[in-house]
Amino acid sequence: MEQVVANGIYLGSQYAMIALGLTLIFALMNVLNFAHGQMYVIGGFVTYTFYGQFQMPFLLALLMSCLTLTVLGALIEKFLFGPVIRRSAREESTMLLAAGIAFLLDAIILLVFGEKQRGVPKIVDGVFNWDFRIIMPYDRILICALAILSIVAFITFMQFSRTGRALRALAQDRDAAQLMGVNVNRYSMIGFALGAMLAGLVGGLLVTITGVNLGMGGPTSIKAFLMVMIGGAGVISGAIVGGFILGMLEAVGLAVLSQYGDITYLVIFVALMIFLTIRPQGLMGKPWG
Amino acid sequence: MASRILHFQDVELYYDRVYALRGVTLELEEGETIALIGANGAGKSSILRAITGLSRIDSGSISFRGERIDGRDTARIVEMGIAIVPEGRRVFPYMSVKDNLLMGAFTRRDKAEIRQTLESVLERFPRLQERYRQVAGTLSGGEQQMLVIGRALMARPQLLLLDEPSLGIAPKLVQDIARSIIRINREDGVSVLLVEQNSRMALSISHRAYALTTGNVVVSGGSRELLNDPRIKDAYLGGAA
Ligand SMILES: Nc1ncnc2c1ncn2[C@@H]1O[C@H](COP(=O)(O)OP(=O)(O)OP(=O)(O)O)[C@@H](O)[C@H]1O
Ligand SMILES: [Mg+2]
Repeated sequence: MEQVVANGIYLGSQYAMIALGLTLIFALMNVLNFAHGQMYVIGGFVTYTFYGQFQMPFLLALLMSCLTLTVLGALIEKFLFGPVIRRSAREESTMLLAAGIAFLLDAIILLVFGEKQRGVPKIVDGVFNWDFRIIMPYDRILICALAILSIVAFITFMQFSRTGRALRALAQDRDAAQLMGVNVNRYSMIGFALGAMLAGLVGGLLVTITGVNLGMGGPTSIKAFLMVMIGGAGVISGAIVGGFILGMLEAVGLAVLSQYGDITYLVIFVALMIFLTIRPQGLMGKPWG
Repeated sequence: MASRILHFQDVELYYDRVYALRGVTLELEEGETIALIGANGAGKSSILRAITGLSRIDSGSISFRGERIDGRDTARIVEMGIAIVPEGRRVFPYMSVKDNLLMGAFTRRDKAEIRQTLESVLERFPRLQERYRQVAGTLSGGEQQMLVIGRALMARPQLLLLDEPSLGIAPKLVQDIARSIIRINREDGVSVLLVEQNSRMALSISHRAYALTTGNVVVSGGSRELLNDPRIKDAYLGGAA
């Protein structure tokens, strides 16, 4: 029991960060970023390159992941989403663009990093063992702590900084935010870069546990969408709740359902369909706040 | 002689193929309050959208303190010292009263002075002080109206644009709001452009007024004279009184 909860929290902390990035981009620009999983994968490969290959300190490699994705996110917003949103009033234009970017990033990942599964040396050795009730390797605990720390930092930033306030204002009322002097183009770019950075950060954290490969992008996007469906799109609390619920469900599934075969996600999907027909806006469904 | 703070000259504005403004000219002197009255759809909000750059004008020009501002980005225009209380209030509904007010000061960087302005706004609207941590979407209509006026003051503007601040508000509160507008103009020295359908209130607190019908200025002049002008009485003050 304790073990399942611990696993759930560990998974949930990673998932919540992925969902936060996705929901930030959605709230700001009304864009469903299908490429979110690919951004996560790039973050994993960048940390692999700097930490695994070049043997730089892990935190430095993590920083490189964040930096790479921040720049990539900013460029994608500035040259792709921004112009498309300005020019087209139809929502499917950005959806199709997002899907296209996912394919493009997959192709770039294949070209730059190859198709092999990559792993990195453990960041810390040893296993935490509480009376055989909770057994968890130290590196997972550390990664979980870093993730939770990042989430807290992100929320603090959104809640109390001038930039965070402007981003929230933009998500709540675009025209009113402009009338307060918020430059929509600049802040959309900042928001998108921030969302991408979160994806890259989780990628860099998780590569130390699960490794990384080209095929992880799509499934990661799907999980991110699931979390946002559970929690409600465009809400900070929704992303966090959705992330932890999915983490918990997965942990329970692995502990309880795996004896019946690989049906955890089948059960989650069925439950989600039922849930969504009852509560389509998700648990916390309301705009960004 | 006072100098001209806003010059809105021969402005035409179309939405798709529908015209909203057909060659409108307005002037606002520094320190003045002018009122803009007119029925629904006359183009009042369009004038404010044009000034703030939310809508692009199709011809004519708009100058603020002698500088052309038409064609500029909204963010750059408001930075120059123009604040607006927009139509329909437009609070940030999921933000606290505090954060809404701080958003009003977004163009400013001077933390200590922002603090001062915040205190003076809260002093002026004690109700906002009471609701300081409350989420703006849950305020009453009148409180939201105070909030957006306070939010506009947070920018310490030279020119304040107000779009129907009395709409949907109890008569008692309308008086309060009228008084705060007078105070903003007289004590803070802010020039005011007031859009109102409550023409009597607007004419009684402004120096001059423009009456608008379907995209044209039809009457303009001193507000006191207009209050007794038969054309205004019939069309905008409901005939009698
Ligand atoms: N976004 C828009 N798209 C198309 N037409 C518009 C748009 N906004 C306003 N209009 C039209 O422009 C004209 C002027 O509108 P405007 O909002 O300026 O009027 P108003 O005087 O502010 O009216 P009200 O008192 O109802 O607020 C109206 O005929 C309106 O239908
Ligand atoms: Mg209007």
